[in-house]
Amino acid sequence: MSTKVITLGPRQLALEEPMYFKVQVEGDLVVGLDVIAGQVHRGMEHLVMNRNLYQNITLLERLCSLCSNSHPSTFCTAVEEIAGIVIPPRAEYLRAIADEIKRISSHLFNCGVIAHVIGQGPLFKQAMEIREIMQDTKESIYGNRMDLAANCIGGVRYDLTPESAGYLAGQLERMKAPLDELLRIYATDPAIRDRTEGVGVLTRRDAVDFGVVGPVARACGINYDVRQKSPYGAYDRLHLTVAVEKEGDVRARALVRLREAREAVSLIGQCLADMPAGPVWADILPEIPAGEAIAKSEAPRGELIYYLNTDGSDMPARLKWRVPSYMNWDALKVMLQGEKVSNIPLIVNSIDPCISCTDR
Amino acid sequence: MSNLQIKVAAALSRGTGSEVPVQWNHDRKGVLTGWCQLRGPASILPAALALAGLEGRLSMVTAYLSAAAKLRGVRELAYHFDLDGTTLTLHLELPLLGARIPSITPVFRNADWNEREFMELYDIQVTGHPDPRRLFLDASIEPAAFERLIPYSTFSSGASSKALWDKVMADNPGETAPGAGATGYPNEVTP
Repeated sequence: MSTKVITLGPRQLALEEPMYFKVQVEGDLVVGLDVIAGQVHRGMEHLVMNRNLYQNITLLERLCSLCSNSHPSTFCTAVEEIAGIVIPPRAEYLRAIADEIKRISSHLFNCGVIAHVIGQGPLFKQAMEIREIMQDTKESIYGNRMDLAANCIGGVRYDLTPESAGYLAGQLERMKAPLDELLRIYATDPAIRDRTEGVGVLTRRDAVDFGVVGPVARACGINYDVRQKSPYGAYDRLHLTVAVEKEGDVRARALVRLREAREAVSLIGQCLADMPAGPVWADILPEIPAGEAIAKSEAPRGELIYYLNTDGSDMPARLKWRVPSYMNWDALKVMLQGEKVSNIPLIVNSIDPCISCTDR
Repeated sequence: MSNLQIKVAAALSRGTGSEVPVQWNHDRKGVLTGWCQLRGPASILPAALALAGLEGRLSMVTAYLSAAAKLRGVRELAYHFDLDGTTLTLHLELPLLGARIPSITPVFRNADWNEREFMELYDIQVTGHPDPRRLFLDASIEPAAFERLIPYSTFSSGASSKALWDKVMADNPGETAPGAGATGYPNEVTP
């Protein structure tokens, strides 16, 4: 059978950001893939070296939208590590709350998109309606539905009053039953299982080989979560059950995300219960000395790593980061191998790709 | 010293054939981070092999050209590895001009994109890379983009969607773009 190459863009791939694929096909089966990245490359790693450490908090939050809180919080952690800044305990909990709220919204968005791609319109609507509870919560607490502006060097820029903490607890309570129901539907509905089970499989061995992280790795049986392996902020005091599946298919990735969304509700509840009173930022900040640091966090798509090198000025000598989507793209070569062309959008979206993050 | 620290020091020394001192730091949460300096580019492949033997994972590669290094006539690379939650960074220096480093893709497949990326941003050649094409930047942009002034409108591949699509399709002049119906996929969703 002859091999043909088809070019797929964001519209055909069901992506809201631009990424292009050159797909080799034999008949209607995929036999090869070349990912064409860089359409939203903005040279951000160069831009951050021309702004001071404080300005970079704002810039990094605009790297992408769905995981926008993970970037400034991880960057601030790197600065604090170099300068020896100890952030107040209350600020650690407030950072975790912001991260987990973003995780719920991000995961529900992806599960909604998966439903949309497989033609389950009502389920798409259901997932997005549940997500809307968190969107409203973000707007009420942070004043914005996507970029929270929650972080600063030395702590956070927001606090929860007893009234707003009560509101947040109420919103979490509203999430519990609908999230459980959504998980039940994704796990048991025959029509959804038929479209997602055994599709886009990545074996554990291939997952290790490609170095994938986050829900994509955990769906292959890799029990790795930065919040547990390298605890940061309040996570060393929170009880976290890591969601792991074994099958490595589209269904397993969706189930991991839905279980993580439910777990995030629990984590925020723990934060509200355990958060001590006190300041939310360090009063006096020292000069940032020359040095280098690694900071990591578990962003919605997996391990986010920052490397910061400073020279004693307020401008970074080098600031480099690697997002979780970075390795997941290449692993699509395995996930798509032998799959039907019609399954490409579903499998691509099952890695929950972030293109603005990848390209930078 | 923990078991991991002993194993890493032994594996790196055995792999590279010389002692590799590693500086270990614990943060306030007890998370361990290791830093070490390799002697030169020839050490990276055996060091990568040694870390693969400890079930390490390549997390990221950072290329950088600080003002201080420039004065010394060198540029720097940092390879960051994960060892089940511990991050180990291997630093090495390369000459400012004619910098070359062997690819570690035979050991860590995910080095592929990392190496392609630093090859297009900095004046560093990776030898033995299986696919040394541009990763993010268009082939028309001058090499070592982070070491020269390039106008933003030129730097960004997606400056115009029509120009972008023309570039994407340039390699397949006989092909027409499939419509939404070709994959059975409905319209996209925005966040």
